[in-house]
Amino acid sequence: MSKLKFSHYFEVFFWLLLVLFFFVYSFEFNKDIEIYKYGATLWPRTILLLIALAAIGQFFDQKKNGDKAASNTMAAAHEGPESNPEHTGAAWYTSTFILLAIPFVYMTVPEKIAPLFSIEEGALGSFRLLCAAGLFLVYLIFAWRNHVGAILALPILFASLLEDVGFYALAPVFIIGVMILMGERRVSRMSLVMPLIYGLLLAFFVSLLYVGLPTGNVSPFYDFGNWVVTKLQ
Amino acid sequence: METFNNFIGGTVTLFGDPIGILIFFGGVVGGMLFGAIPGVSMLTLAAILLPFTAHLSAEHGIMLFSVIYCTGVYGGAITAILFNIPGAPENAPTAFDGYPMTLDGRAGKAVGAAVMCSAIGGTVSCIIMMFATAPIAGWAISAFGPPEIFALVFFGLAVAASVGAKTFWKGWLSIMAGLMIAVVGLDPVGGIERYNFNMPYLAAGIHFIPTILGFFAVSEIFVQAEKKATGAYKAPKLSVDFPTFKELWLHKIAVIRSIIIGFFCGILPGIGATLAAFMGYNEAVRWSKDRINFGKGKIEGVISSETANNSATGAAMIPLLALGLPGGALTAMMVGVFQMHDMEPGPLVFINSPDLVWVVFAAMFFANLSILLVGFLEAKTIVNLLRIPFQFLAPMILLLATVGSYAVRGLVIDVVVMFVAGVAGFFLRRSGYSVAGIVLGLILGKIGEQTFAQAMQMLHFEFTGFLSRPIALGLLIAGFLTIAGSVYGAFFKKEAPQNNNADADSTV
Repeated sequence: MSKLKFSHYFEVFFWLLLVLFFFVYSFEFNKDIEIYKYGATLWPRTILLLIALAAIGQFFDQKKNGDKAASNTMAAAHEGPESNPEHTGAAWYTSTFILLAIPFVYMTVPEKIAPLFSIEEGALGSFRLLCAAGLFLVYLIFAWRNHVGAILALPILFASLLEDVGFYALAPVFIIGVMILMGERRVSRMSLVMPLIYGLLLAFFVSLLYVGLPTGNVSPFYDFGNWVVTKLQ
Repeated sequence: METFNNFIGGTVTLFGDPIGILIFFGGVVGGMLFGAIPGVSMLTLAAILLPFTAHLSAEHGIMLFSVIYCTGVYGGAITAILFNIPGAPENAPTAFDGYPMTLDGRAGKAVGAAVMCSAIGGTVSCIIMMFATAPIAGWAISAFGPPEIFALVFFGLAVAASVGAKTFWKGWLSIMAGLMIAVVGLDPVGGIERYNFNMPYLAAGIHFIPTILGFFAVSEIFVQAEKKATGAYKAPKLSVDFPTFKELWLHKIAVIRSIIIGFFCGILPGIGATLAAFMGYNEAVRWSKDRINFGKGKIEGVISSETANNSATGAAMIPLLALGLPGGALTAMMVGVFQMHDMEPGPLVFINSPDLVWVVFAAMFFANLSILLVGFLEAKTIVNLLRIPFQFLAPMILLLATVGSYAVRGLVIDVVVMFVAGVAGFFLRRSGYSVAGIVLGLILGKIGEQTFAQAMQMLHFEFTGFLSRPIALGLLIAGFLTIAGSVYGAFFKKEAPQNNNADADSTV
């Protein structure tokens, strides 16, 4: 009897679509190499073929055995974390996808829409921050109902803001954000732990090892970052 | 006798200089600490220190990196055992059994086994390295050409596919995904840009440090965060109950087998400790009468993996010093240290700078011995990290990972890549895929393609050329048999008993 579920069809579709996409793209660099007759495409195309074979093999294996690890002893011993039922439905995936898309919207969209609002180059930084504030509101709305999705998206959002806001101004907010999303609600603990983590990191990496971290490029964050670096070094 | 005299000479030079002593102990503690702090690794420390070695002598610079290498490989086992976050890929198999032991309240025993076996594996490997550098290097040069190295990479990947994921198919798909990530960037023969999607960042390929940090450290935080959010999180139980000598003596065969496997994997350029650890672990499973309990907290799993990876550290210095071929990321950085001092690693180093070679050998020997002493002390301190509530540990790990990935090249995009890899790792792990498999594919992918291209050029593009090379042929057959066995098992064997240990979820 077939033990196939929607996720199995999705898995095989995902892998085969990936194979198709990368195979088609491989024609972009399908150039001759004088000393190597297989060119630059043989290796990736062989891998793609093996991925397709493995995906189809997995599909038939799942048809027979479902999600169970078959006879692979090691595999049976190393099952990954089970998906939580609360975090598997279409609504959860959609909301998580939106949360994960927010940082990428911030990284690409503001510069493209700036000309529409006649933003001059000098004011682009401030405009980007305005967009960041708007997107952060969207993030909060979705994060309210989807804590796990919010945890997944927060670090990427943090990384996407590093260039503009800088590590020094952003890290304290990030520490507090992660603690809240992890379930910490005691303000006294957070106000004690945040400066401790922040201080230890800066003392070790910036003061001791002179690691240059992003200072940001939008005022007043840029000024703040440089002030911290000057004080510590 | 000459070897012994050289070793004494190296020891006197090492400990006769106060700056040398300071650098030695700094390297020992730094390697262990960076290896053990979740989210960073010895590579982070090495990357941070690399520019500063220009201010040191060549002897001190190389010695520092070799000490960090020995102790860092051990240090990574601590996080693998305590947090299911391997400090480096070579510690990934340690997490298979080490982390379930932690969840079972036997963290102390796992850490103790890692300390003792890392020290034994590393020290024995160092002794063999001192005596056998010249003959083994000579044999490897003549016996291992590109076809053999490619065959070994293939065999290693075939073995790795059967370890770590929920099924063989998922293991194989994980490896292949890693190989595809490795394809991004320049092709190794013609320098043609592949899959760069017109993004300058991708032209140089995806750097493995952010990817490793993302797949291991960040995805682990996400998995634990999900458990916190749903109330399924269980704080690891704490213990500092080290194994007795008698307990370890029971596994003497596993130790000896892993030393041999680790040494031979380590000596081959580009293979190093990662494959050593996977093979050491896999062979322990293969030879065990109690296979089903591997992955559920069996101390033999920790012993095999940790002995093998530290055994590879001594051996990895042979191709580096004798041939100038780095065996991995850290030895590649050592090439950078050599170059900063206008030197090239290779046979000439033995002639022009014998002092340097023997100071490095002596330092590695004593670094491995110091794992026993400093490692026990450090482990007792680090185990206490478990007392920190996870909501406070998580932001620290994420920020350390941020600094670690940014410090390598000073690019914010590396931080983005790391967190994206973390999210991908989270979803892949939920679906039963192996993030260790992806990372192994990523690391061995470039070496595999390069050696395949060289092999085909050598064999005049005739695949039958492999038939005339017994070692390559043997390894290819072994690889194909491993895959065939797994495929056969997937379709024709009865279902295996399911893992009842709900907490034994591993990073891989």
